[in-house]
Amino acid sequence: MKKVELLSPAGDLERLKVALMYGADAVYIGGPMLNLRANAINFTFDEIKEGVKFAHSLKKKVYVTVNILLHNEEISLVKDYVKKIEKCGVDAVIVSDPAVIKIVIDNTKLDVHVSTQSSTTNIETVKFFKEIGATRVVLARECTKKEIQEIIDNVDIEIETFIHGAMCAGYSGRCVMSNFLTNRDANRGGCSQICRWDFDLLDKNKKQIKGKKPFTFCSKDLSMLRYLSDMIDMGITSFKIEGRMRSLYYIATVVSIYRKAIDEYYKTGKITDIENKEKVLRRCANRDSVPQFFNDIYDSTCSYYNGREEISNQDFLGIVLDYNKETKIATIEERNYIKKGDIVEIFGPNHEIITYTFNKIIDEDGNIIDVVRHPKQIVKIKIDEFVENYDLIRIKS
Amino acid sequence: MSKLLTIPSSMEEIEKTKNIVDGFIIGIENLSVNTNMCISDLNDLKKINKDIFISINKNMHNSDLKKIEEILDELDNLNIKGVLYYDIAVLSLYKKKKHKYELVWYQEHATTNYDTINYWNSFGVNYAYISSDISMEEINLITKKSKSKLMITMFGYLPMFVSKRHIVKNYLDYFNLKDNSKLNYIEKENNIYPIIDKKEGTIVYSSNILNGIKEVVNLNVDYIVLNSFDINLDKFITIIKYFKNVTKENVKEYNENINKKFTNIDEGFLNKKTIYKVKK
Repeated sequence: MKKVELLSPAGDLERLKVALMYGADAVYIGGPMLNLRANAINFTFDEIKEGVKFAHSLKKKVYVTVNILLHNEEISLVKDYVKKIEKCGVDAVIVSDPAVIKIVIDNTKLDVHVSTQSSTTNIETVKFFKEIGATRVVLARECTKKEIQEIIDNVDIEIETFIHGAMCAGYSGRCVMSNFLTNRDANRGGCSQICRWDFDLLDKNKKQIKGKKPFTFCSKDLSMLRYLSDMIDMGITSFKIEGRMRSLYYIATVVSIYRKAIDEYYKTGKITDIENKEKVLRRCANRDSVPQFFNDIYDSTCSYYNGREEISNQDFLGIVLDYNKETKIATIEERNYIKKGDIVEIFGPNHEIITYTFNKIIDEDGNIIDVVRHPKQIVKIKIDEFVENYDLIRIKS
Repeated sequence: MSKLLTIPSSMEEIEKTKNIVDGFIIGIENLSVNTNMCISDLNDLKKINKDIFISINKNMHNSDLKKIEEILDELDNLNIKGVLYYDIAVLSLYKKKKHKYELVWYQEHATTNYDTINYWNSFGVNYAYISSDISMEEINLITKKSKSKLMITMFGYLPMFVSKRHIVKNYLDYFNLKDNSKLNYIEKENNIYPIIDKKEGTIVYSSNILNGIKEVVNLNVDYIVLNSFDINLDKFITIIKYFKNVTKENVKEYNENINKKFTNIDEGFLNKKTIYKVKK
């Protein structure tokens, strides 16, 4: 059985490298235009080339999103754009508009993945996309386990499903609340996440129906760790993690957890320590997560009425820039307040988690300090076990 | 000259308006969203001697496919003009047989350019329903370059959200609240948005009513659509008459008359382009 692909988002070149180093088999990125994260940094053509070179050196893949819904003014741009993307060496494009699929197929040899923006939920639609030349379909997050299995059993095409991350409240492509409330076009990458706003709910006579918290469309996040073994057995081609605008720490954490779980399942037939893994994932996103539609349960247990009270936690302490094997001194760039006595976990792509207590912190001028307060401050800390560049440090919870 | 269609809310409305409009868009029980009236007995359509378009436009799951096929066959026995679809499954199933009616590409927020309209036309989809999220400049270019016959909403509340989730019910359940409204509203900063939570999921409409009568006199489409959703029937009949009789000479007066009838009315995106990149 071919091993399932673990597909990670990457908002920039650094996150692309981190995602691949931490175990993703492929990354999806946004190019200079025509993607659904118009307000992310996104990649230049040169950065795409560099990312592809890095990925291919590890025998991994890069997919580029070209998934906005076209307006007239963009029609003439698509052909040249996808040709340029092809020249960067990418492995596939992720497309929503079928007319764009035709342009890609007519003008390049790129594989075409149908974006979840198309909200594909049934066998007939998947068959259609196969017939017009798509090589993979990213199913809508509204699909149940039964529906996914029926599609896999009935259409010979690669199927990709989401396993982790934020959820849209509505069917992707059918929500333009952002357009109406903020004039920002949701289907062209401008979504202002109205589904996370609070509203007053009124009855038919326009009298308020008041709960303890305000009405919202907000959904809990998706987390499929507990069902990962089922999903592998179903024959899904690719597991997708949501979040091209997520941080380096988030990507490294989520990718490494799922990487370990997938590898463990292929090796032993089971995934252990799920509760602890879920705890790390929950703290990383700082939001509740559930399996959502997979089990055909999308009742109030999937809704999120926290009144936007979640605040980002300070778990991510720093990133290892360098390690001197002889002196055992690590050079660390601070990301959140570090202090002497902190019990931390150091994790990286090439070793198990190291639990360690910081006893001695030295600043750039050689002074011994008790706290590291400044963002991106460089410090040196003695760590007895081997660590390396791109290892990440989090507070032990 | 464009024909006038409405999205009626009741058989009573159809009876009262059938002599002034050219046709209706009607939903099918369990297969439609954003249509105000869904019929369970297709034979009811035989009584209406007008251009009838049936909207089969929810997101389809595997369990819906058999029902769609049956309905597409049954519709051959009725004198309908076309079927509006959102999910490509409807097109795929339609193409398996030769049917007596046309298909209308109705992915309401996706019909934003002429190239994709022409793409669907190459599959035999001869109608497209233009998005309400784009400007007149964009609409006019679509009318010039599209091979398909076109329809567009020019009056009424506009659909802006469809979900499989029961978002109102979930809120009521979570906080142990009771309410039996079939139509609710949500309010933000004095704007009130209709929200319906029904078997197929949750639908939300715009807070303002679109009034596009100013643009209709110069608009080259096959069907202008007026939506009666949540609008008083007498007022709606008056609106239909304005749209039916509008000319270049009276458009200013008619526009003002319509605007006076509502406090929450505007031109939608007809003269306001959306943005999507908020920083350079």
